[in-house]
Amino acid sequence: MIKERLDGNEDIHTLVEKVKKGDREAFMTVTSLYQKKVFLLAFSFFHNKEDALDIVQETFLRLFQKVNSFRKGQNFQNWLLQVAKNLCIDYHRKNYSRSREYDREKPIEEMNLAFQNRGDPYLSSDLSDIFSACLKKLATKQRLIFAMKHYNQLEYQEIAQILGISLGTVKSLHFKAVQNMRGLVAPYLGRQL
Amino acid sequence: MTDCKKLKKDFVAFLCHELDEDKSKLIQSHLDTCPVCKREVARLEELIKGADSLKTDIQEAMEAVNWEELPRKIAENVFRQESSSPRESWLRRLSTFLFQPRLRPIYAGLLLGILVGSLATYFVLRHPHLKEATSAQIVVPANFLERMELETARRETLDYLEKSQYLLLDFVQSPSEKSAEFWQSEFASQKARELLAKKKYINPQLDKYQMAKAKMICDQIEWLFYELSQISVSLSAEEVKKIQKLIEDKQILLKIDLLKRELGKSEV
Repeated sequence: MIKERLDGNEDIHTLVEKVKKGDREAFMTVTSLYQKKVFLLAFSFFHNKEDALDIVQETFLRLFQKVNSFRKGQNFQNWLLQVAKNLCIDYHRKNYSRSREYDREKPIEEMNLAFQNRGDPYLSSDLSDIFSACLKKLATKQRLIFAMKHYNQLEYQEIAQILGISLGTVKSLHFKAVQNMRGLVAPYLGRQL
Repeated sequence: MTDCKKLKKDFVAFLCHELDEDKSKLIQSHLDTCPVCKREVARLEELIKGADSLKTDIQEAMEAVNWEELPRKIAENVFRQESSSPRESWLRRLSTFLFQPRLRPIYAGLLLGILVGSLATYFVLRHPHLKEATSAQIVVPANFLERMELETARRETLDYLEKSQYLLLDFVQSPSEKSAEFWQSEFASQKARELLAKKKYINPQLDKYQMAKAKMICDQIEWLFYELSQISVSLSAEEVKKIQKLIEDKQILLKIDLLKRELGKSEV
């Protein structure tokens, strides 16, 4: 169904125009096209499926409410991810206060660091726990940039548009994020990266 | 060494293929010659590969979601909410625009301005008459006004006496046959009328300040002018003489003179 509509020369702007008029089918098509991208961003930010699904739901609700503010010529994906990014920040502020975060999360010291005894440590599922926990310790912007770059596979230019910052700032923040991750992960790997 | 420091900041972008061709070539050629930087890049690459371990979790989470069903569910929720709250009208959009949080400082400033302006206006215009009175206030002794009125009365009386004296002198010194003409002249009758009017004006002052002596003489002068102005038309030379004699006998001019001196001395 979605394919048919897209193959029939219906680009995203045509679909958005239909959403503006309250077209349910068009809305569902747009949701189908971008739901995974929003989920990917939210999941890499929270590392929690339920939170990520909440963000997806809220993002498309917000899309329907604010679609009139979307202008032709804008990049729709960037516009939508900007909405998702704002929701992630708000959601994080509301539901993940510092104390709560520590309560909810498994202390990093208690993790099973069995990967050290395995042949290829990077294949261990516990390594993802370490990276997930370390990623959460990054500052919000660095965390978003790291997630967008490595999991959403976005380019610096797109990230700059979504976050509303310059290309140079994105490059600099990404560099800092990687350096900080290095410092955070190293103690748990037992060697310097 | 300088090259290493300069290029180090671009290593992450280099590994993520975010640099332009020239910059990438520059870094690549540097890495070929600098073992320290080559090791640094290898470590960064290792970390980035490590971050890819999360992709397994992301993949698992994504596989657990029913992507075909999700758009329908979301659409149901969205349209249910929309039907319970109709789409924003232009009025609502306008109110949303006007009441957006970023305009709060502007509104707060405006409100503060109006408040300060209103208060200032209120305090300035609250008692305008009182303010005028306050600004025009002169501190004077308690009996100042009374003294001022007494002085005015004295001067008015002196003026009355002086003018009367001149008029009576003219009358007394004129020959008796011409005296009748004198009183019939416009000048004399005008003067007499003025002095009668002035006497009416100073009467209450003479009473108020108990200037009994002055009042007595002024009353005599008043009576004289009144009589002369009433009967002047039919006065004979003899009658004129009689009146002139009466003025002399009563020493009216002398009394006026004395009274003038007395009043002159008692200047306030």
